[in-house]
Amino acid sequence: MLVLFISSGLFLGWSLGANDASNIFGSAVGSRMLSFTRAAIIASIFVIIGAVMQGEGASNTLGKLGTVNAIGGSFTIALAAALTVYLMTKASLPVSSTQAIVGAIIGWNIFTGSAIDVHSLTQILISWIISPLLGAAFALLLYHLFKVWRKNTRTHLFRYEARIKVGLILACAFGAYSLGANNIANVMGVFVPSMSLNDASFTLFTLSGGQQLFLLGGIAIAAGILTYSKKVINTLGNNLLELSSEAALVVVLSQSLVLFIFSSSSLANLVGKVGINIPLVPVSSTQVVVGAILGIGLYKGVRNLNFRLLGSIASGWITTPVIAGIIGFFLLFFVKNLFGIDVGHAVNPVIHSGAGMNESTFIRNSIIVLLIVAAAYLVYLVLKEKNKSKKLNESGSLR
Amino acid sequence: MSLFTHTTRELIVKLDEFFDSIEIGILIFKEGIRAYVTGDNEAFQNHLKKIDDTESKADKLQRSIENEMIVHSILPQQRGDVIKLLDVLDEIIDTSKGSLNEFYLEIPKVPASLAPDFISLSEVSSNAADELIPAARSFFREPHLVRDKLIKVYYFERETDKMAFNIKKKIFHDMPDLTLAEKAHLRYILHHIESISDRSQVAADMLASMAIRLML
Repeated sequence: MLVLFISSGLFLGWSLGANDASNIFGSAVGSRMLSFTRAAIIASIFVIIGAVMQGEGASNTLGKLGTVNAIGGSFTIALAAALTVYLMTKASLPVSSTQAIVGAIIGWNIFTGSAIDVHSLTQILISWIISPLLGAAFALLLYHLFKVWRKNTRTHLFRYEARIKVGLILACAFGAYSLGANNIANVMGVFVPSMSLNDASFTLFTLSGGQQLFLLGGIAIAAGILTYSKKVINTLGNNLLELSSEAALVVVLSQSLVLFIFSSSSLANLVGKVGINIPLVPVSSTQVVVGAILGIGLYKGVRNLNFRLLGSIASGWITTPVIAGIIGFFLLFFVKNLFGIDVGHAVNPVIHSGAGMNESTFIRNSIIVLLIVAAAYLVYLVLKEKNKSKKLNESGSLR
Repeated sequence: MSLFTHTTRELIVKLDEFFDSIEIGILIFKEGIRAYVTGDNEAFQNHLKKIDDTESKADKLQRSIENEMIVHSILPQQRGDVIKLLDVLDEIIDTSKGSLNEFYLEIPKVPASLAPDFISLSEVSSNAADELIPAARSFFREPHLVRDKLIKVYYFERETDKMAFNIKKKIFHDMPDLTLAEKAHLRYILHHIESISDRSQVAADMLASMAIRLML
């Protein structure tokens, strides 16, 4: 039964591996600097290590956003997020599993009447906006440094490329580690509060209950990388990520750094001592990559900025969580009422004092308004797409 | 890691040797033409033999570099361009060898009054190739300097054209003692000497666009 419940999380992990792995090594494979097999094996190993060793930080923040206290609820939330990713990918809309899971958790909060942790939500929302910007800033800086280094050292092109190749292998490992550390929260974060597993002792180390879940999630991500990411890279990756070898390295490094920053507890503690607060939250690797590519474009001139890509990032911040929230809400309703499965109960229930709105109520109402707006926007997009295909068909038949 | 460094080091050495061969080939070509038009047959035969060896060495190096680049997946993005560049550079030494062979086989009658013109033309035409090789070397180390270095290639190519035009004019307008067949033959030989700078220009165009793409 337990396996059945976490199957939705494992499916989400698999799809994350299949889709997001292309962000780590898609550019390296696309630029033909690394073979797919070598890159996939490195990524699979390190994604698991990252998930187990450093997955806790971002997972805790998700836990604060919604303490899903029944395994049925966790299952439904992960399923809602996975369905959102699947449906939006099918509809060719920009999607991120990070934003989907957050939307689904909020859906759970609304369904159970739990108060939304405004602080965590704000941290998450700000990090979504900051992460692509940070990706762009890192890419701009690193790309500039690479260019200066290349110009000043007179390194032979063959030697330079050989070094880039070694750099890509290392960056691929670092990227996979950071992806595992940061995005495992999306896959298994919702199961952590609802499942209490005993520590598992091995000869050399001990895995806590959460780490055991992260290990399973990491394996699911690795399975996605090994089984399906090649297809994703072949169909999508090369279009977006046809970059020079050094640009590929810069993109992977920037993305890895951003994911690492948002998932490393040690780093957060360290900079916390000087008064800088880094929230440990799951961020969208795809959006960081797009940010990094835009950063390189910016280095080459503002003319190279693709504003459509920027628009797709911004629209993803709203549409994905809202759609996931709607799906999550309805799935929870069906799972609870149709199958009689406990999906959880209110945590810090929303208090209706009648004396005015508190922060949670405000957010709750805002989300409902957003739900309606997003649903209308979605309908508009679908109609627009249909209209476009109709026009294309008509012009095709005229010829 | 050591495989990377070892292969890369070997490849860099081979590439440098390839460029050296082209430069030496051009030098031999110039000396060969000088020996022929001044009637120093022994030196000419010597140069003929030398250019044959140098061209064959360049060919071997070119094949080896291409193979290693493919086998070890070196420079995957620029590989096609680099292989094409090596091919175009190799054509320069091929043309040099071919020109000297034309002299050997067809024994063109170069009047003594035209000897300095032929020597000058071969020198200016070879200068274009001479200036090309540092630019090609620079592509691998300092691509931002390639364009500056290529300016001289274009200059010498234009000079070669002008000089060849004047020599042809001299042959057909001012040398009534030569038969039409002799004039046509000399024109044909001149064309061969000219083609060194033409091929250098083709390689220069290619290098220029490769350097821009690399720097983007």
